[in-house]
Amino acid sequence: MAIKPKAGGFVLRVDPILCDGFGHCHELAPELVQMDEWGYPIIRATPTPLSDANALESARFAVRGCPRQALRIERTTGSI
Amino acid sequence: MIALTSPYLWYTTRATGFVALILFTLVVALGTFVANRIGGTYVGRFELNELHRSISMVAIVFLMVHILTTLLDSYVPTGWISAVIPLTSKYEPVHVALGAVAFDLILAVWVSSLLKARIANRSWRFIHWFSWLALASALAHSVLTGTDSRSSWGLALVVTCGAVVLASALWRYFARPTRAAGRTALSPLSVAPLDGDAPEQPARRDRRR
Amino acid sequence: MNATLPRVLLGATGRPLSLAEHQSTFTAPVRSSGLLEELEASGLTGRGGGAFPTSRKVSLLRSQRGHGKVVVVNAMEGEPEAHKDRTLLSTNPHLVLDGAECLATMIGAKTVAVCVPRDNQTVVHYLKRAIYERTLRAHKGPTFELHAAPWRYVAGEESALVHWLNDNESLPQYRPSKAHVLRVGRGPALIDNAETCAHVALIGRYGAAWFRELGTDSSPGSALVSLTGAVDRPKVLEVSLGTPLAAILDAGKADPQPQALLTGGYGGTWLSGQHLDVPYANETLGPVGAMVGTGVLVVLPRSGCGLLETKRVVDWMANESARQCGPCAFGLPALAEDLTHLLHGRPDGPTVLARLVERCGVIEGRGACRHPDGVVRMVRSALCVFAEDIERHAQGAMCEGSKSNEHWVTVPSIVHEDELVWQ
Repeated sequence: MAIKPKAGGFVLRVDPILCDGFGHCHELAPELVQMDEWGYPIIRATPTPLSDANALESARFAVRGCPRQALRIERTTGSI
Repeated sequence: MIALTSPYLWYTTRATGFVALILFTLVVALGTFVANRIGGTYVGRFELNELHRSISMVAIVFLMVHILTTLLDSYVPTGWISAVIPLTSKYEPVHVALGAVAFDLILAVWVSSLLKARIANRSWRFIHWFSWLALASALAHSVLTGTDSRSSWGLALVVTCGAVVLASALWRYFARPTRAAGRTALSPLSVAPLDGDAPEQPARRDRRR
Repeated sequence: MNATLPRVLLGATGRPLSLAEHQSTFTAPVRSSGLLEELEASGLTGRGGGAFPTSRKVSLLRSQRGHGKVVVVNAMEGEPEAHKDRTLLSTNPHLVLDGAECLATMIGAKTVAVCVPRDNQTVVHYLKRAIYERTLRAHKGPTFELHAAPWRYVAGEESALVHWLNDNESLPQYRPSKAHVLRVGRGPALIDNAETCAHVALIGRYGAAWFRELGTDSSPGSALVSLTGAVDRPKVLEVSLGTPLAAILDAGKADPQPQALLTGGYGGTWLSGQHLDVPYANETLGPVGAMVGTGVLVVLPRSGCGLLETKRVVDWMANESARQCGPCAFGLPALAEDLTHLLHGRPDGPTVLARLVERCGVIEGRGACRHPDGVVRMVRSALCVFAEDIERHAQGAMCEGSKSNEHWVTVPSIVHEDELVWQ
């Protein structure tokens, strides 16, 4: 799955209902995802922007590694 | 249709069968480690998950070789279709059927995992639960069919694998999540909703759990 | 009809108005064209808590392509201190159903799904009868369906309501963007609060100019307020938006010098009793940290303890979590624990207080719905309004109000987790 980073920008989003606090995302992308005290990733409704290619790559690992497929990388088109 | 008559096919079948069994046992054990959230301090949780995924690929390769060599070997006239449809083999129909059932289920789990990003997580999990049944069927197949399971080491191997799978199953069951986590679970064993007060109108899509 | 109150509660008797009585109370016919323009001009905003411009929602649904559009009347009233929707439906269900018909006409829907909590069989019965009366009319409007869902705090949340209608489960769903239209079956759904529908019915009859004769420019019209707490009895008042809070308390015979008011509901905010001159409308309440929300005003007298009431509410709200999302399922009980710790003046109060503040920041914005956000908002407002009292509690000194048996916010009993019904 080749994603070419564009000027539009990408964000990392989580479906909080699917998320079950496995924590793989934090291991794979610690600079993007911090954990709260209950084992859940801190990704908010105002989503985490992926500013460069490294961030994007880390995010892709996290998305692939999530056992519940709760993470998604979305392109922002402007206001959400 | 080629039917070969080399004893090496027969040896390969038996050997790859055992290896596949051992590897799938390992896969199930690793899967249980992942489900029970082991890791995070000395080994990464994602590493166990990756091992689970990659070893399953190796196991499938061995399984394919096992099936292929069985089908090619004229010593055991199973017929090609018996690999996927149970009870169609001319040779030991029940024993081969157990293998076919295991293979079908593993195929379903594999394909659903290839498509994991594209299908609903609930659907993926529902199919994934059947891997336990696949292992049970594979173990039964090994005990009943295997020439080698009549020998002490063969039997010991199968029994050990069986013990590991059983232990994993018990651990999985007793350590299952009871709160918050796991609400999207769709195990075949999940409890059906109580039919208390009927709604005033029937639900628009009758998608019962 | 002149610019007086009551409007939606006009003609109230001890029992719901029949169709004939309703038609003789509101004699003007509903206009057949230009409804959407009138709705836009009226500036009506939703009365279910969101205060979203109703005409914008209608326009969005109008522009949707799809068959089987549905109007959903949301009368779930998950907020325990809110009584307005059930009062409205017990006074004049036909006004609400009229409004739903107007909305159905505007978006081209042929079905109206009226949703009420199944725990209140009285209201269910009233609606069944009202819907039946309408089927006897000569003019056949949209088909009305009655749906009785289990009563939960989050059952009135839009995605939970739609989930109930589709799959018989009152659980909120993840919505990546609010602009994404919810669907009931295959049809786009317009979901509006019952009181909003009643106002739509009146605008359809008397027009936008009439509607704007009450209220303010930004918050036109009248609204129902559920007044509870330090009052002679809990009551529902219809007020013109922009009325000063003191006047509402006076009209409702509530404590004229309260310590504080809980505005908006359990997920709303506390307002200190020194702000009673503030007009009751979002644009004036907002700057002082209060809100209209679901029209709830709970009056806390000086003899009460804000920390105690907050703790009781958070205990219950934590139990009402759908437990689908970690930060809510685990975070809200943690907030409740911290509040209990502070309330009882246990050691290490300041540390727990700091932890409470931090946890609020960690929890907000991370649920599929706004349930945890509401709780965080309410707790933060309590930390602000009751700062002095909380400081004393944190130092180990419980106030007199917290030791009394008298409680001012009515909080339902906590149902055991295994007995919560979502289906």
